[in-house]
Amino acid sequence: MRFVWQKAMRLAGRLWRGLREWCGDAAYEQYEDCAARKQCKPLLSASEFYVEQLNRKYSRPNRCC
Amino acid sequence: MILRVLFWTGLAVLGAAALGTIALHRGEPINATWFVLAAGCCYLVAYRLYSAFIAAKLLALDNTRATPSERREDGRDFVPTNKWVLFGHHFAAIAGPGPLVGPTLAAQFGYLPGTLWLIAGAAFAGCVQDFVILFCSIRRDGKTLGEMARTEVSRRGGFIAQLAVLAIMIILLGVVALVVVNALKSSPWATFTLAMTIPIALLLGVYLRYLRPGRVLEASVIGVALVVFAVVAGQWIADSPALASRFTLGGVTLAFAIIAYGFAASALPVWLLLAPRDYLSSFIKAGAIFTLAAGILLVRPQVLMPPLTRFVDGSGPVFAGKIFPFCFITIACGAISGFHSLISSGTTPKMIQREGHARFIGYGAMLLESFVGVMAMVAACAMTPGVYFAINSPATIVGASPEAAAQTISSWGYPLSASTMTALAHAVGEQTLLNRAGGAPSLAVGMAQIFSSTIGGERLLSIWYHFAIMFEALFILTVLDAGTRVGRFMIQELGGRVWKPLGRMNWYPAILMSSAMIVAAWGYFLYQGVIDPLGGINSLWPLFGIANQLLAAVALVVATTILLKMGRLKWIWATLIPTAWLVVITMTASYQKIFSPNPRIGFLSYANALAAQIAAGQIPAAKLVETHRLIFNQRLDAIVTATLAGMILVLLVEAVVQWHAILGRGREPVLHETPYVATQWAEGD
Repeated sequence: MRFVWQKAMRLAGRLWRGLREWCGDAAYEQYEDCAARKQCKPLLSASEFYVEQLNRKYSRPNRCC
Repeated sequence: MILRVLFWTGLAVLGAAALGTIALHRGEPINATWFVLAAGCCYLVAYRLYSAFIAAKLLALDNTRATPSERREDGRDFVPTNKWVLFGHHFAAIAGPGPLVGPTLAAQFGYLPGTLWLIAGAAFAGCVQDFVILFCSIRRDGKTLGEMARTEVSRRGGFIAQLAVLAIMIILLGVVALVVVNALKSSPWATFTLAMTIPIALLLGVYLRYLRPGRVLEASVIGVALVVFAVVAGQWIADSPALASRFTLGGVTLAFAIIAYGFAASALPVWLLLAPRDYLSSFIKAGAIFTLAAGILLVRPQVLMPPLTRFVDGSGPVFAGKIFPFCFITIACGAISGFHSLISSGTTPKMIQREGHARFIGYGAMLLESFVGVMAMVAACAMTPGVYFAINSPATIVGASPEAAAQTISSWGYPLSASTMTALAHAVGEQTLLNRAGGAPSLAVGMAQIFSSTIGGERLLSIWYHFAIMFEALFILTVLDAGTRVGRFMIQELGGRVWKPLGRMNWYPAILMSSAMIVAAWGYFLYQGVIDPLGGINSLWPLFGIANQLLAAVALVVATTILLKMGRLKWIWATLIPTAWLVVITMTASYQKIFSPNPRIGFLSYANALAAQIAAGQIPAAKLVETHRLIFNQRLDAIVTATLAGMILVLLVEAVVQWHAILGRGREPVLHETPYVATQWAEGD
């Protein structure tokens, strides 16, 4: 029973992380992680990153008919 | 090994049996389960065998090769993404209103032609296009279709592709706006609900920009709750005579309102209106599609539309034209859509972790969209044919009153009583369901009948109907405002070559001017569709379908050129056959739309018929100006169709010259892939 519960919690965790990545919630964290690995400076703030990401995303076709 | 062979053989036999049942069944209504079985089995077999063949033989996917997301990772544009998450991204991007509206309109031929085209077209053409273009773009650091056309075909080819994309965008936006107008016409409940999504989106925009930057999930939860409340509140509006009259708008008023909205969405900062609407619509779209699939599987409705109707002869009330070529033009997304090639050469190639994932994402996501199309076909065909035609036919063909429509449609062999339409309108909370062409209201009726059979019963039919209308209109408007913004960028980019200041993306006068230009362009098509007595869908949806399929032909021509340069001559039929098929159907449809002597099909013959009526004094003085405008619009549509077809023929000739040079004269092909770099990531990373 405990094993099943642990499996279910791990699956739920993966689904939650996937959902956050899919909808864009995790985008800034990924950016921070990449910037830390590549030692990029200066970092954009969360607000600046959000606006820049949106401007980039919606400047090219991203929604089909 | 033997078990696997037996399993896949069994699945193929089951799929073939289900297809055979759908194709040969006559008389009694057929159950929707057969459609789910046929589609599911065919898609699984196509994915397991055909996509694997393409991946191995045609493309030779290489998992040892670093993708752009690894080589150019920057945490912004190039972000390596889990294949399931990227599948979700890609599917959300490609799944628009097309797979819902197209099959609904094509149901006028019966369920059979559209269903077969959805399944076969996706497996052999649409999925192949999406997959191959994605692969080509991965190998070129995420270059767009236009850039690939320029470097691999010719500079002129690239320019033609760019122009074709802009033209298709304008037509697409006009047509989807027309679908929304027809869905909201004379419906205070639907108009109120959709109007409320604007302040809700503005609220979310401010929340995400200033209060909780980037917290999309929590903002979307708040937004979805507010939208659902707006759907329920719409009923209070509809029940109040004073308030209902304020939200009961005619087609022309709605058209101008949507034009104004499109301009605002393009000109305003993207975080304020466009982005929050997109988040809202993505969640609602995912939920609605999932609920529709679950509903069909649980309820297993009877498909009441016959396999073939009398309108295979080309006399259809929804749109004129025979199955060939118009069924293949009407159903674009869901079978093959050129627009997908823009998505496949957009963000997805920059986020893919391994080349091997392209099979699952490129081919697989398109299969899923095709399945959405099959479900839309089931939802539309689960209505009685009489009701379907009453909703989707224009007043000039069936009449504007329930009695006239019932008489006309019954005379076609599809029994319908006036009281049925009146009762149905009352049950879904509408003033009328007659002449609501465009596919959205009839699909909403079909979806509501399925949803209410699953949850809530007849009591909730009106809520489910307006939820379905809201869902369709919401994500059509998302396509509209995102497309208007992209169109604005294209105009600035192209126009900036002629007048430099227009190309300055952050200069507000340029933003306003180019927004006005793109909105005026699609707004014109929208307006002509609204005032067209034959029903704008009759003229404009085929025009959109032709444009979209022509872009698909462009994408496949580019793909074929690249594959020939890679030395894949032995397997080139995999892209060449769909290319040839698309060229044949789009050129045939273009020719018929321009030159057909039937005024319901041919733009020029309709214009000439109207001109003859004016000359014979048959048009009242009050209608003269409008009739002259109609004549102008029809001739304009003929010119647009001819221009699009001509552009694609030029590109085709350029490509054939290249192919001849590669194959005939043995010229060493120049391939513009990025050099091979071995991946540093272990398999399974």
